[in-house]
Amino acid sequence: MNWAKKIFASYYEIAEFKIPAIEQREFGIGNIKKIDARHLDFANVSAFRSYLCNNTPMFVSHSAAYYEFPGATPMQKKQWKGADLIFDLDIHAEGKYGQYSKLDEVKEDLKRLVDDFLVNDFGIKDIVVVFSGNRGYHVHVRDADYLKLGGDERRELVDYIMGQGLDYQEFFQTSETHPPKLFGPKPSEGGYRGRLARRTIKLLMEKPSEISRVFCKEEKRNFFIGGVEEGNWSKTSLKLSDLISRLKIVADTLPVSSVNTDVGVTQDLSKLIRVPNSIHGETGLIAKIVDDVESFDPLKDAMLESKETVKIRFTEDVPELKLIGETHSYKKDEIKELPQPLALFYVLKKSAQLV
Amino acid sequence: MEDLDFALKYPFSSEAKRIIEDMALTDQIVILGVERIKKSLRGESTKRMVLHESGKKEEIASFAAARMILGYLRNSFITSKFSINESKLVRNYIDKESKGTIERVASRFDIVPLRKDGKLLLDLPTYVSYSIRSTHYRLINRKITNGFVEINDNDFKRLVEEAVRKHIEDIPLVKDAPEAIKRAGEKLIEELPKSETTIVVKKGDHPPCILKLLESAKKHENLNHSARWYLAVYLNGIGTGEDAITGIYTQLPDFSEKTTRYQIKHLKKKGYNVPSCATVMSYGLCCAVCRVGNPIRWHKLNEQRKKEILK
Repeated sequence: MNWAKKIFASYYEIAEFKIPAIEQREFGIGNIKKIDARHLDFANVSAFRSYLCNNTPMFVSHSAAYYEFPGATPMQKKQWKGADLIFDLDIHAEGKYGQYSKLDEVKEDLKRLVDDFLVNDFGIKDIVVVFSGNRGYHVHVRDADYLKLGGDERRELVDYIMGQGLDYQEFFQTSETHPPKLFGPKPSEGGYRGRLARRTIKLLMEKPSEISRVFCKEEKRNFFIGGVEEGNWSKTSLKLSDLISRLKIVADTLPVSSVNTDVGVTQDLSKLIRVPNSIHGETGLIAKIVDDVESFDPLKDAMLESKETVKIRFTEDVPELKLIGETHSYKKDEIKELPQPLALFYVLKKSAQLV
Repeated sequence: MEDLDFALKYPFSSEAKRIIEDMALTDQIVILGVERIKKSLRGESTKRMVLHESGKKEEIASFAAARMILGYLRNSFITSKFSINESKLVRNYIDKESKGTIERVASRFDIVPLRKDGKLLLDLPTYVSYSIRSTHYRLINRKITNGFVEINDNDFKRLVEEAVRKHIEDIPLVKDAPEAIKRAGEKLIEELPKSETTIVVKKGDHPPCILKLLESAKKHENLNHSARWYLAVYLNGIGTGEDAITGIYTQLPDFSEKTTRYQIKHLKKKGYNVPSCATVMSYGLCCAVCRVGNPIRWHKLNEQRKKEILK
């Protein structure tokens, strides 16, 4: 691993760290596991940088929390002052390389989490999106109003995002009139209500038959949409109760389900999270701060830069993968001279060895 | 004078603090403080009538004395009872107050909703801090836009009530308590109800979410409605009798035998099924990954698997 650590160290000399209130954070480092030692603290970025260059761990994390005494032990003595709100979007896929083909899926969830929930619903402004360095994204929220929230309150936010207990049928009310009218959310409303209305209209425009073949006729579709714009969902020949159950297909797409697996990260007030712009020791990819989610390609943009090439021998077959814009796939015992970041990736993934 | 009456009703206010600032802790104040705590142990939310200025001041100070006793004792059962009772008392007051006064009390906890087009809008972090986790208040069922949650006047009062409860429950440790406070506290402890639980809880007997609730009950912590309902339906589902279930609920701070027995009889009669894990999760009560689908199926897991999950 010394070879890898040298590469890490030379990156850390110039890496850009933006860690607000670094002196109030606890740090953890790891070589064998992701965290072997914790309760470290650093007065400023240059102290942190020199630690990384001299000791160069495979993984480095900092606390979401801010403490009066971040290096103190046990935990109670640190004196918790608040914590960033962290969301972890994670992919679980089969095999060593399965997750990389799904990184685009998680990106869709990421965009919805940030745009629909954090910005539109929660009104949050200070959001930093970071590639995790392997299988997903971390979202750091640092708005002052949210820092003080306890674990239970954070869980409530996650439950909301994951749609726990969402009952969209509750959004609708049938009038007592004859014939009955169905009143529901308008597209201009906030939260799940508005989103249900907007998504329904979108689906009707794009794939009307997914809701009902009735809406394939433009005239009938437009008549119905015109009603929905006003919150009147009755302008259709469909039976109203039938219409409501058909909307399930829309309602199911509203929550962000990939936050699911790591509820703990948001809830755990003393959790350590990978330092943005540090290197992930299992991939050699940078846990890069993402400025433009849309154009970010993790298997290109998060690679370290180097002009060197390195010879490696593959110790197992690796499936086809697009790295730095080119397709790669190798067989066991194949010997290849690859650009250093790619060699690093395969060696750290334990699919190859230096020759 | 106006401030004095305000402070009498809202003894946690800054007005109250100012009034008692220069007062000495007399025996009478300690006695009144003890009485205040005992009232909450009995679940009495009546208030003492005081007419004279000095009497009013003592009454305000009795709240501070009660808090000192609780801060010295660090007994979560008594503290929890006290905070619930006092917050209910406050709720009774604010139900009769003008909008302006309610806002004055609320601002003490930074609950400052905006009024816009006849609607009340409260910022989201404050809302989640003071909303209880019942269906009506769950975030998922609220209208939310751009960081604000729409609430009505009744929600507003309930949020203030919860803020008061949380504030009172969060009692700082009193290390060097005056002798009178120590004596009063120790006497109080002797009068605590003894737990009558007949269920012996062994690790592994129940799924983690139930163990957590039983643990909370044991510590006399308050459980919300869905937690109570879930626990009772579960215990009933595994064949626990009415007396044993009631025994567990005696530990809760606002225990009422009549209500508890009525509820248990009701759910036995209705034959409710134990909710699925998904539902338990939607109540915010799930705390582990058991993958059993329904908590009742916990009992079908082998011991090894149980141990792994509980680790």
